[in-house]
Amino acid sequence: MSERNPIPEKPSVLEPWRITAFGIVALFIFAVVFVRLFSLQILQGDEWLSEAENNRTETISLPTRRGVIYDRNGIILARNIASYNIAITPANLPADPGEVAEIIRQLAEYTALPIHRGDIEVDPLVQCGENLGLAEMVEIGTSFAPFQPVLVECDVSREVALIIQEKSAEWPGVSIEIEPVRDYPTGVLTSTFIGYLGPIPAALAEALSAEGFVPNRDKIGYAGLELFFDEVLRGSNGQRVVEVDVAGEVLRDIATVDQPVSGQNLVLTIDTRLQQASDAILRNEIELWNQYFGTLRISSAVVIAMNPQTGEILAMVSYPSYENNRFARFIPQYYYEQLLADLTYPLLNKAVGAQLPAGSVFKLVTAVGALNEGIITPEQVIQTPGLITVTESFYSNDPGRAREFVDWNREGFGSLNFVGCLANSSNVCFYKLGGGYQDEIPEGVGICRLGTYARALGYDQFLGIELPDETNGLVPDPTWKRINQGENWSTGDTYIAGVGQGFVISTPLQVLVSAATIANDGVLMQPTMVREVVDGDGNVVPVVMDDEGNLLTVGYDASGNVIGLDENGNVVDETNVVSPFTPDVKWDLTVNPRIQNYENPSGIGACRETDELTTVEPWVFELVQRGMRTAVTSGTLLEQFEGLTVAAAGKTGTAEYCDAVALEKNLCIPGNWPTHSWTVAYAPFDNPEIVVVAFLYNGGEGASVAGPVVRRVLEAYFELKAIDASLGAP
Amino acid sequence: MQLRSWRHFDFLLFGAMIVLIVFGIAMIDSAVAGNPELIEAQAVERQILFAVFGLGVIFITTLLDYHLWITISRVMFVVIIFFLGLVAFGGETAFGAQRWLDVGFALIQPSELAKLTAILLLADYFQRNKAGAGTLGWVFRSFLVVFFLTILILLQPNLSTSIVIYVIWAALLFASGLSVRQMIVFGILALVLAAVAFPFLEEYQQQRVIQFAFPDPEARFGTSYNVTQALVTIGSGGWFGLGYGQGPQVQLRFLKVRHSDFIFAATAHEFGLVGTLLMLAVLFFLIWRVLRAARLAHDMFGALVCYGVATWILFQTLVNIGMNLNLMPVTGLPLPFISHGGSSLLSLMLSIGLVESVVARHKMLEF
Repeated sequence: MSERNPIPEKPSVLEPWRITAFGIVALFIFAVVFVRLFSLQILQGDEWLSEAENNRTETISLPTRRGVIYDRNGIILARNIASYNIAITPANLPADPGEVAEIIRQLAEYTALPIHRGDIEVDPLVQCGENLGLAEMVEIGTSFAPFQPVLVECDVSREVALIIQEKSAEWPGVSIEIEPVRDYPTGVLTSTFIGYLGPIPAALAEALSAEGFVPNRDKIGYAGLELFFDEVLRGSNGQRVVEVDVAGEVLRDIATVDQPVSGQNLVLTIDTRLQQASDAILRNEIELWNQYFGTLRISSAVVIAMNPQTGEILAMVSYPSYENNRFARFIPQYYYEQLLADLTYPLLNKAVGAQLPAGSVFKLVTAVGALNEGIITPEQVIQTPGLITVTESFYSNDPGRAREFVDWNREGFGSLNFVGCLANSSNVCFYKLGGGYQDEIPEGVGICRLGTYARALGYDQFLGIELPDETNGLVPDPTWKRINQGENWSTGDTYIAGVGQGFVISTPLQVLVSAATIANDGVLMQPTMVREVVDGDGNVVPVVMDDEGNLLTVGYDASGNVIGLDENGNVVDETNVVSPFTPDVKWDLTVNPRIQNYENPSGIGACRETDELTTVEPWVFELVQRGMRTAVTSGTLLEQFEGLTVAAAGKTGTAEYCDAVALEKNLCIPGNWPTHSWTVAYAPFDNPEIVVVAFLYNGGEGASVAGPVVRRVLEAYFELKAIDASLGAP
Repeated sequence: MQLRSWRHFDFLLFGAMIVLIVFGIAMIDSAVAGNPELIEAQAVERQILFAVFGLGVIFITTLLDYHLWITISRVMFVVIIFFLGLVAFGGETAFGAQRWLDVGFALIQPSELAKLTAILLLADYFQRNKAGAGTLGWVFRSFLVVFFLTILILLQPNLSTSIVIYVIWAALLFASGLSVRQMIVFGILALVLAAVAFPFLEEYQQQRVIQFAFPDPEARFGTSYNVTQALVTIGSGGWFGLGYGQGPQVQLRFLKVRHSDFIFAATAHEFGLVGTLLMLAVLFFLIWRVLRAARLAHDMFGALVCYGVATWILFQTLVNIGMNLNLMPVTGLPLPFISHGGSSLLSLMLSIGLVESVVARHKMLEF
């Protein structure tokens, strides 16, 4: 540049507006960026921040430990055992693909899976799945979430698990994951009341997820005590909120770890030894008769043993049952369907859930009613021929038709007093007591009063035992018949009901409780399966439930007794203190007025209640007890109970039935229906400590089929008691 | 023309650039986030090395009369064509495109230098053909210059660099006196050309454009992952950010290519709206200083070089930030001075040296 041509201040060589235009464009761009940034960071900032938080936080559920179930002597009936899964964490595998291939090749020798199978483009990665080979599973895991363990094979044997655990030093990335699985050491022996677990169903998934449970991992009770006490047993899951990076590696906890709370343990009233004895005795008896008849005659049966003074169930057998260990990992479809299709209902706890005609064991109700209502005096002698003919009428002025009612003993007993009627289970006597007979018994107990005495002794209601299968049975009345059968109550119906036939339906537990109440001088004890609930350290945990089995808040009254409170903190009156163990008197019939009085005890039209409620005289129970004792000493149970060293008292029952199964087999021949066998008995007579009921479906005569079962269970009980006493146990 | 004094050296421009580069290195250091590959590649160390080298380049460039570059640019044109040819037949492939050339100690991207070469060649052309300004022949001949330069770049394929060069050409056409009417006509023509050329693009390029125009809401981890994560990263920054080295999106690596293409998002995440605006203010201040040089330049060549450099920086800033903010399709253009990338940084620093050279010589006489 020449100095001779100086240009001190020169205007821009470019047109100034073209520079300004650039500036305007730049400012515009800056403005757009500013607006967008402001909108993203300030206006929508919270949403994006929560997405960022979502990216980095992961909630890990720490599984709880389900409570253990023990019998009264501490024998484990349900527990958790380890199941071993082979897991591969792709991120921990060696970097060299050759080494990875070698690990997979060696691992494949211990697994059922091949090295290669399936196509990673099409087949999804399923944990524990069998659609892919090991290499494919690892490949998908590597690209998807390398720090997430891939479960390549589940439930491997302990031996394989140990080998792999040992090799894990040589095989980085391969490990054994331990998954808790429910185990029932006593299996089919106790499955009837223990029940089983299953996956969280879709309907409950939302509610249980809110409580921290993980569908597809956690399980809940599906049946039995596992279901009834699910809330007590299941505990609550813990939780870790962790920070993860983009590869899924857990970096640290970002919230305090919420440790899982183990479920509480259940101690049952069951004595597994007596359970085992009862089960064996029952099976022997069934086998004996089935072999004798050369056919599968007795297809199902029940035995229950209970302490009548406390209501503790000592043994409960419902035959046939099912193997609940087969449901431990998952519920196998074919097995479950097979159980469902079985007409002997193995999945049903028949001890509390079967609806059966009670037959002659129901005569105890008629007996209590007849004595207490003064239908018969203790000294009165009743004529008991082989059959009686009464007029069957359906309404007050119905001239009716003559109908014959026969005794099981076609020859008749001649004449019997009250104790004799009971001891010999005379049908004719109880027809008369139930429905009245000419001038001998001017007025029977009648259907209305039969109903109230039946309910007082435990029939026609849910007794509140802690088993979800429990059903209520039925003691009919005229109104029920008109609604359900479309027919008026007839005088004949009352005669039939008086001996526990016809429309009367009961469960084995109700039969047991009725006998127990009589044995216990009219005190009906709440039957229970549970002695106490204990925590992990063995401390007794108070648990109170309402009548429907819902858990209540535990409170204490002034004298320190456990009481149940509702959500508002109010005391709930009708509660079942499950734990600590307290014998729960449902009612004492000699003290609490439970007997409803009626304007028309015969129940023509409908039962019309009066306002009056009365009690049962204590001597009534004494006399009924004497009748049951006489059945053993010289009555229906004489033969079966001969030589029993303990003084027992009992009642047999041969209940005619005609259900769908019998119909299909053409067994329902009029006048000669098939019969179920019943026997209920207690001992010792003076201070009853055990009451046993046995029921055998299509067993035939009550005394000869069910009688021996009850006798042997009683013997087993006293034998065990003697053993315990010699060992110095309480 | 000897440099007689550093009096007119634009220390503000230089200072702004230093601030941006230092900040960029700091951000790269944060963005490495324990990624073993980036640590192994010594991303931070290399960026520092290039920056230090770049300072020397600026010093030398300022000392040299920028008119020298008229000659040098012709050599560069030949050299670049040669290098691009080498890349085309023996370069390193990254993300489906051959862009890098291994020169032993580093991978260099000849296409970065091509941008500067384009500016120099066009500035020289427009200075020499002032008389014919506005004629169709004038436009067409300038087009031929960029066309030859970009043909090999397009073949790499590197569409974004080519677009930068064409935008520089358009800007310099405008600065040199293209009439508004012509601008509109050429603008329409460019749009038509883009539409016609679309089917000839590589599939991944088409996908990016389609993904931008019609985002697939289902594609959580697919093609839209990077863009979505960029938005999450930016949006979660709030007013003041989550703190340097503290942003989980960056530190836990949810944001991809956070040290280069998405470094803007990383900045917005860790420094928030306030910090990001400060950084942008410095960047736009730098562009303004370059534009000031264009106004002060005492000849048309110098002015056009500055105008071209300003265009280059602004356009690349726009495209990069536009991609980060999901206002534009995904391209591989770095954020000037901030993003990791030696070739880009070095070419930009060389251009700043050129601008300084222009500014330092804008007054012919010193009294």
